[in-house]
Amino acid sequence: MLLLLEGAAFSIALTLAAAVLGFVFALGLSGVRFAQIRYLQSVATCYVEFIRNTPLIVQLFFVAFGPPLLLGYQWPFWAHALLALILNFSAYFSEILRSGYGTVSDGQREAAAALGIGKVLTFFKIVLPQAIAKMYPSLASQFIFLFLTTGVIAEIGVNDLTQAGKFIDSRTFRTFEVFFTLTVIYIAISLCFKLLLAGLQRYFFGWQVAR
Amino acid sequence: MAGGAVKDLLVAMFGEPQGVVLFQLLFATQFTIYLSLIAFIGGGIVAACITILRILPSRPARIIAQCYIWFFQSAPLLMLLFLFGLGVPRLIGFDVNIWIAASMALTLYSSAYLAEVWRGAIQSQPVGQWEGAQALGLRFMQTLRLVILPQAFRVSLAPTVGFLVQIIKGTSLAYIIGFSDLMSIGKRWANAPVEGTEPFVIYPLMALIYFALCFPLSRLALRLEKRLGTVPKTAPVAA
Repeated sequence: MLLLLEGAAFSIALTLAAAVLGFVFALGLSGVRFAQIRYLQSVATCYVEFIRNTPLIVQLFFVAFGPPLLLGYQWPFWAHALLALILNFSAYFSEILRSGYGTVSDGQREAAAALGIGKVLTFFKIVLPQAIAKMYPSLASQFIFLFLTTGVIAEIGVNDLTQAGKFIDSRTFRTFEVFFTLTVIYIAISLCFKLLLAGLQRYFFGWQVAR
Repeated sequence: MAGGAVKDLLVAMFGEPQGVVLFQLLFATQFTIYLSLIAFIGGGIVAACITILRILPSRPARIIAQCYIWFFQSAPLLMLLFLFGLGVPRLIGFDVNIWIAASMALTLYSSAYLAEVWRGAIQSQPVGQWEGAQALGLRFMQTLRLVILPQAFRVSLAPTVGFLVQIIKGTSLAYIIGFSDLMSIGKRWANAPVEGTEPFVIYPLMALIYFALCFPLSRLALRLEKRLGTVPKTAPVAA
């Protein structure tokens, strides 16, 4: 029981860390595409499309076992898992953000330019806040979905919720019961996230998102 | 055999270990494709039933369908695979065929998402369409078949194709219960690397193969979306 709690706490912490860092990375990626910096833009697009069209598990194994062998360093497994999750999350978030910028009308940008506001300031003070309000529901559901996929990090030996379940299973051999409990825990946590995110939405964007 | 010829060709092109590895990866890719198709077709059939339940004018039916969708969208695919691949066999006491276990898990997974997409497409049709059909004296199923579905089909096409990508990526998890697909073969080589199958070579190679399967579908979905319009995003997409 304690093991499951620890695993759950670890899964949640790792997901949150990956989501925050991944979001920051995604801001950079989508910003590069937004600003249409020529070569960087194509690099960012290729990166996002590549990540979005390959399975997380392949990315995870590559990050966990590829570079360590090549460069001869080895972080703790959780750091490799975190890195893989950041890379994965950022691609999805950046795609949502990018389509969010499209919902902000060009007039906003032109008006800012007419007022002499710099491009960077326009992005952070005018485009981003409006886009985030529109994209918040997508970001929230994507976050929950990504949380549900994090179980695969157990495959490289990280002690997350799934790994805790596998450990208990290997002791008790009550496989069905163990994994059913695990499923229920995953559902419960994602439900909590859902409620929390909905609360945050009301708190921050309640007046902007007409739903 | 054709397989042997391809193998010889690849060995001739890339040399002894690499050609064999490449051949095995490509050979295993077919099982990835088969499993994806099974999951898509099976998921589609289940999803069709769930979608109908979801829009029936009967309240209990709607609630059952909604619970089904909610449960299987919230349950991680990995857990479904563990349950059907390892849990059920141990529960009932004999081995379930790996194809059946993997197909079951992926079918349930994809059915929930497809049902949600299709429900969105059907409900995006204006109420006037239903009322008009009713005024003409059509019954529920007739309205659905003759009026609503042909229109909803166009709307749902793009997200349905897009979801195929998620299914293909999802099949990569089936190796966990011992399904021998692209992921499984690649991992086996990476775990016991010979020259040219080190993890930093083989995983990008596998990623490329997955990419080659998924990217055309993503592009197709995007083009369909631009041409036909789409349902408002109801289901998140990733894996």
